[in-house]
Parts: sequence; structure tokens; C-alpha cells
Amino acid sequence: MVQYSIEELHALLISGQIHFKEYYEELFKEIEYQQNRLNAFVTITKNETILNLKKKDFVNMLCGIPYVLKDNYSTKGIKTTASSRMLENYIPVYNAHVVDLLNKQGACLVGKASMDEFAMGSTNQTALTGPVYNPWDRTRIAGGSSGGSAALVASGVVPFSLGSDTGDSIRKPAGFCGVVGFKPTWGRISRYGVIPYASSLDHVGAFTRNVRDMAIVMETLAGHDERDMTSSIKEVPQYLDCLDENIKGIRIAVLKTVSDEVENSIIQDNFNRVVNVLEELGAIVENITMPIELLKAVLPTYTILANSEATSNLACLDGIKYGHRRDGKTIEDTVIHSRTHGFSHQIKSRLILGNLALAYENQERMFMKAQKVRRLIVEELNKIYQSYDIILTPNSGIIAPKVKQVDNQYTYESTILENHLILGNLAGLPSLSLPSGFVDGMPIAVHLMGRIFEEQTVLNVAYALENILGLKNQYSREG
Amino acid sequence: MKFEQVIGLEVHCELKTESKMFSSSPVTFGKEPNTMVNEVDMSMPGVLPVLNKRVVEYAIRVCHALHMEIDDVLCFDRKNYYYADLPKGFQITQNKRPIGRNGYLDIVIDNQMKRIRIERLHMEEDTAKQSHYDSYSLIDYNRSGIPLIEIVTKPDIRNGKEAAIYLEKLRQVFIYTDVSDAKMEEGSMRCDINVSIRPYGSQELGIRTEIKNLNSISHVQKAIEFETLRQENIILHGGTITQETRRFDENTQQTIKMRSKEDTIDYKYYTEPNILPICLDYQWIMDIKKHLPMLADEREQRYIQNHGLSQMDAHILAYHKDMSDFYDDVVQQCTEYKTVCHWLLGEGQAYLNKYNLSLRQTKLVASHLAEMISFIQEGIISSKQAKIIFECMMSEGKDPQTIIEEKGIKQISDIETLTCLINEILDDNQIFIDNYEHRKDKVLSFLMGQMMKKTKGQANPKIAHQILLKLLEDRVH
Repeated sequence: MVQYSIEELHALLISGQIHFKEYYEELFKEIEYQQNRLNAFVTITKNETILNLKKKDFVNMLCGIPYVLKDNYSTKGIKTTASSRMLENYIPVYNAHVVDLLNKQGACLVGKASMDEFAMGSTNQTALTGPVYNPWDRTRIAGGSSGGSAALVASGVVPFSLGSDTGDSIRKPAGFCGVVGFKPTWGRISRYGVIPYASSLDHVGAFTRNVRDMAIVMETLAGHDERDMTSSIKEVPQYLDCLDENIKGIRIAVLKTVSDEVENSIIQDNFNRVVNVLEELGAIVENITMPIELLKAVLPTYTILANSEATSNLACLDGIKYGHRRDGKTIEDTVIHSRTHGFSHQIKSRLILGNLALAYENQERMFMKAQKVRRLIVEELNKIYQSYDIILTPNSGIIAPKVKQVDNQYTYESTILENHLILGNLAGLPSLSLPSGFVDGMPIAVHLMGRIFEEQTVLNVAYALENILGLKNQYSREG
Repeated sequence: MKFEQVIGLEVHCELKTESKMFSSSPVTFGKEPNTMVNEVDMSMPGVLPVLNKRVVEYAIRVCHALHMEIDDVLCFDRKNYYYADLPKGFQITQNKRPIGRNGYLDIVIDNQMKRIRIERLHMEEDTAKQSHYDSYSLIDYNRSGIPLIEIVTKPDIRNGKEAAIYLEKLRQVFIYTDVSDAKMEEGSMRCDINVSIRPYGSQELGIRTEIKNLNSISHVQKAIEFETLRQENIILHGGTITQETRRFDENTQQTIKMRSKEDTIDYKYYTEPNILPICLDYQWIMDIKKHLPMLADEREQRYIQNHGLSQMDAHILAYHKDMSDFYDDVVQQCTEYKTVCHWLLGEGQAYLNKYNLSLRQTKLVASHLAEMISFIQEGIISSKQAKIIFECMMSEGKDPQTIIEEKGIKQISDIETLTCLINEILDDNQIFIDNYEHRKDKVLSFLMGQMMKKTKGQANPKIAHQILLKLLEDRVH
């Protein structure tokens, strides 16, 4: 069983070199093996997938290609749990918009991936089904909240998977697992049917093992959806055809305020090497800084806004219509019991925080203030983008932590280095994590952040880098 | 001490758009529970709102009719609270920036014009409908997401009667702008009341209580009356009013406390992140104004000035939009304005009252009424016959010519035939001829009655009367 990329598998399917059904029979054996190793699936849709395998023409690039969805994407008739007891047995009656798009292309869903409960977390240790392990070292975390989706691409099970990214929930685990993780501009892909965490920060995005595959997936997912008013009507470029490794003259800003925080010298050296490569490729690379106060404000701003929005986004989960229910004497009691028992402790503490920030007596100095700071941060970033096309930073200052090192808290680090990826969510920027090397056998990555709706530039720079760094299509089946 | 009442009203009105405010499922009333529902109305995890443009158009229509300033940027907010009938756990409404501000509605009280200022008009979505039983409750999500507008007055209303007249007038605005059926009994129009009292002459506002969810105009009036007396009693006994929310109990006709101010829910309003601010096109707003149907007041004036109707008739006609619309149709084909009006308000209204129908539920066709009136004018049928024909037109929808033929209704206007018939009657009633000189009117009317009886009402009364008079004079002298 070979861990093909989308393009490779597509070529083999269309030429008939691979027998469609046999391939999937093999694949489900591999899935079983990797599930025992990584615990990355919530649901394996073997029966549904095998049943739906029909002879296809494989003309579409994604036709016949297996993929995995984070378990917060609504799938009609297939359990969608958001890794929470609250939705442990919830079966949606409709598909998320992007699921419809992938179905139309003929892509084959093989399962739903584990995540931090309701996408709140960065370790994937808060999932109802237990922690997800890093494919490169099972004693380490995959990262979160889209840990299952990251691990399943990194272990070679599927060539692509979808995740969601509210703070850094695609890009952090992508970096820890050594795969490409990308969330495009807020509004580029419809969020319809994705169980929300914080609507103004939530992004749909994907994991792949190389940049070309990412371009293919983005081309399929991006575009206006009449069921999501915030999805853009801007035309979607042909990302794959437009991929260009010639990045001469592209202006890249190295955000020193963040990169200088790296303490690990191998990671620092690796980052410097990436900067050198970019210069050799003809990009104009310059150092810039951002006010440290703004960068320090990123985490508290995010925490207040995300949890405030989460408060109402999770308010529909009252045990009345669907989901976990514990009856009480009155309707009110039923709602209280259902929520008390359905949400884990960490979700409840976040909801309490959100309610606190929105409460009449606090709203001005907490929620509104956070909105103001968000605006200041966006303005600061816009200033940088007047002179630069890309902001470059190390994806993280560390390799994936050991499972035992992190408890079930929402973050393992609160430094500006470990939280700066949130900038991409506060400003809705297209942001990509690209594998850039290894430290102690564990993958590390760099982070590229472009102007809004300039996905192509981000993909092009990543494409050019990837060709030189030679880290594409890497995966770890064992370890 | 004499007190003055200070009243403000908040009216909710369901809009009769085809689909719901943020989902594509249809707006219906009285359908099988939970059949007009999709994943959005049920707030399945992951759904997003998509604003129905028609809702905005309807809201703007009412804004125009109420002379309001219209905000050209649409903003929506989340109003957070838990209730079983609120599937999202929050309601999408307009808190900070209502679409309409600073309008008014003029009402007439005891022949005096009074201006009720309107503070705001905003759009929001309706909740699901709950029914409570002994040991369980049921929820019907058909209503969930139906668009509503809420209209809030300044505290300009001074008594229950004014409130009732305002509500009637506002209801008429909804109907004339064609945005709602505004049926209070079906819940498509609902009202909250804010009531406070103060000593006459005082400019300060007293502490107010809010009475929630009134569903008939008479209840509004009764609730205001009760609440005023209750507040007066408290103050006259040295007490103070506490700010609280109350409800009106239909059985006891009293207002009952629901919750006090301390228990007020903190709705934690904030901007709805899934709907970015929408800039409205000025031209579109103006186009909606241009195509606004003529409102009741305008129609009334037109009926008086251009059609010569009496103030009373014009008012009644304009009060009922379906009647007024129908009248306008008929007078396109028949310019006997007064006659058309009298038929509609007289025989027409009587028929509707008798069978408890609305005009639209009858089979009456405008051109038929126009034709019938011209038959009367031409003397082809009598007024009495016309009544039979009219009822038939309403119940069966046939044209007057067909009815005349089917029922054998015809007027006898031929002088020779009439003379012959009258002579026969006179021959049989010599005693009346003898009395003619003393009791002219009585005799004439008796003999005309005989004539109508003999001809089954088909004699042309005008001609018959003239002939009878002539023949009587001849015989007496």
C-alpha cells in the first residue's frame, strides 16, 4: 500500500493501474492499523464508503480520492460529534456545503477525525474518544484542535483532510505533524454546516502532503455559497494552473518580534535557512517588527472574542431538539442538566468566560475593548501589507510536546511566539504552515501569511520553498 | 389627586413574505406542526442565516408609511437568552441600529387629530410556538424564523381608547402596505404595553410597568384600564410602583406580575458575526416608496374630493382595504360613485355580516356590479329586483344578465300592458276609489302594493305610479 498524493493517485486511477475497489479494501486495512496506532478517528465510514464505490470516470482530480473530515463538519446520515458527549449520537440531516462540493467531485469520505471538543483546544487531548497521537512519535501530541485530520494525512492514510481553524487549529497541528496546513481568507470558503466555535474567527481549511495537492483542494472548496452570506463572490483563481515557483521580487517580511523569541537553536537555524533560500530564490526579504504590546494582546483579545461568540454559538445545544439530553422536572431543568452533563469542564469554563465578557456590566471593558484591540491589530497588519506580500515566521518554537507534558488545558504556552498564528484569524488572512525540517526526528515548520484573497501568492511562495527544502510527500506510517 | 396615564406601545407584526427571514422554508399559518421546517429553523449545528431581501423591502414599506428615517446600513445583533421556543439560544434582531427611526402616525380622536410619535422600527425573527399541557409541552417550529417587525412608540398615548385607535390605525397600515394580515387573533400582530401614571400637570415620567403579549385590541384597552387603577390605588395608599413585567389574564381581566426589574434578563447583545453590515441602495429605498400602495387616509380624501362621497362613507370604505380595493375596481367601469358605495356598504356589508364572510370570500365580480348598476339606471330592473340579483352575484358569481334570464326577472315598462293591469285592479277595488279624495297617500300606496303583488314585483314602479295616478283621477272625476 503506497501513500500516494492526490495527483499520483489520480493518475493511477485514471490510467487504470490501480483497481478502485481493491485499493479501498487495502485502505481500510491500513485505516484499522493506523486507528489502533493513533486513535485519530471518531468514526470510520467503511460500510458507507464501500457501498458507494461505483465505477467512475475519474476525470475530476478528486474523483475517487479518499479523504477525512474533522468531526465538526456536518455529514448527512453520518454521526457528527464535535468530539463532545453533547453530540455523541447526533446524526445531521444535511451536509456541510464543502461536503456537498467534495461529493460532487466524487471524493470518497473514509471517516470523521477526532478533534478537541468543539474545536476548543490545541492539544487534541480533550476529545471524547481520547488523545490523538503524533504519527512521528506516539508519545507526543498531534496538536489541535484539528489533530485527527493532521495525523491521518501525516501517517499517509489519506492524501488530504479538512480541518477548521479558529486560532491556529489547522496550522499548529500541521507543523507538529509535518504536513502542509492552509486556511485561506475568511469568506473564501463557505462555513455552512461546520459546527461553529467563533464565527468571526472560524475558517475552513485543509491538510495535504504537498503544495500542489493543497492548490487542488482549495480550488474545489473556494467560492461563493448562497447559504453563507459571508462567503465571497470574488472569482476563484485556478490555483493549480497558476502555481508558479518563480517568486522573484515577492516582498517578504520577517516578523522579528516573533522569530527572535525562538530559543531552540536548531529551529532558529532552520528558520534562518528558510530566509536564505527565499533570498536565493530572488524574493526581497526584510526584517520588520510589530509593537510588542499588540502581540501580547493577541491571546487575551482572542480568548475574549472567541469565547464570547462561542457562548451563543453553543447555545443551540440545549438537549431539546437533538444531542445529549438529561430530563429534568421543568424545561429549564432539562436544559441545565443536559448542558451540565453534555459539556466537559473545559467547555463550561470557556462559556462562563464568554458570558462574563458579554455581561452588561463588563461588555464595555471586556468584549468591546477586545473588538477595538482586534481592529488595532488588523490596522497594524494592513500597514505591513502596504509594503510586503507575505509575513514569514516560525510556525512554533517547539516540537510537538509529549502527551504527558500537557494537561487538558486550552493552551500549553502563552508566549507571543506560540500564539502569533492567531493574527491570521483576527485579520482573516490566508495562512499556511509548511514543513521546513526536523528536530530530534520531529517535524518543524514555517508560517506564511498573505494579504486577504491573495491565496495564490501564499501558495506560490510555499511551492517554491517546498521544491528547495525537499520535504514534500513525507509521512510516518510507524513510530 | 387626578392622574394622567402615560402609555407607550411595542407592536410585533409577522410579515407575510413567501419564505422565512433567514431560511428558505415557507411562511405559513395553521399547517401541520413541524412540516414547514428545515435545518436552519431547527438550528441544527452549523447552519447560517441568509437574509431574505423581501423582509427588508416590507420593513421599508412600513417605515415609509410611518414617515420614518431609514438607516442605509443594515446591522443585525444577537439577543442571547435560553427558552425552549428559541432554537438557536439567541434571536437575531436589530438592537443598536434599527432600520427605521423617528416617525409618526396621526390618529383621530373625537374629531381631533393627534400625532403619535414612533421611536423605532426594527426587524427580527419569530420564535417557535409552544403549547403546554399537564405533564408535557409541545413545540411547533413552523413559526420559528418567520420575519417580524417591531414598532415602538414614544410615550405619547394617554388612555386605552387612544391605544385602541392607534392599534387599529397601525393594523390598517400593515394591511394597506400589504406586508401582513395583521390578525391579532391568529397572533400575527401582538402588542406589549408600557404604562405609568403621574399627577396631572407633571412633566416627569412615573415608574412604568410592562404588560407583555396582548393579542386583542380589547384586551389592550382592558389591561390599560386595570393597570392604571392598580397603580393609582398603590400611590393613593402611599405605596410606590415597582418596575416590573406583567401579563394580562384573560379570565380575571387583571394584570399579573411575571418578574421584577431585578430579574431582568441580560440579553448580552452583540453584533451578529454571520451577517456583515449591508449598505442599502438609496435608489432601491426610493423605488419602494414610489410603489407604495395608496394608504387609507389618502384614499379617504380621494373618495371625498373626487368622488363626492360623504365623509362617513369614505371613511368606512377606506377602513376596509378589500372593500376599498373592490370599490376602486368597480368605479373603473361605472362612475356612479355613490351608488357603487351604497351597494357595497349597504347590501354588501349586510350580506357579509349575515354569513360572516370577508368580501374576498364571496364570488362577487367588479364588472358584474357595474353592469347591475347600469341596468338599474336604464330601468331594466328595479332596485328591489337588483337586491335579489346582487345576492345571487355574491353567492354564485353569475353575471346580472344570466341571473335575470334564469330567474325570469324583468321589469314591465310597457304603458299599454301596465294600463290594462291597473284597470283590472281598480275594477276590483271600487271601495278604495271612493275613499281616494280623503286618503290619497294611503290609497295610492295600497293600490301600488296590489300592482306589485299582481306583477310579482316586475312592474316599473315609476311608470306604474304615473299611470295609476292618472287613471284614479280619471275615475274619480
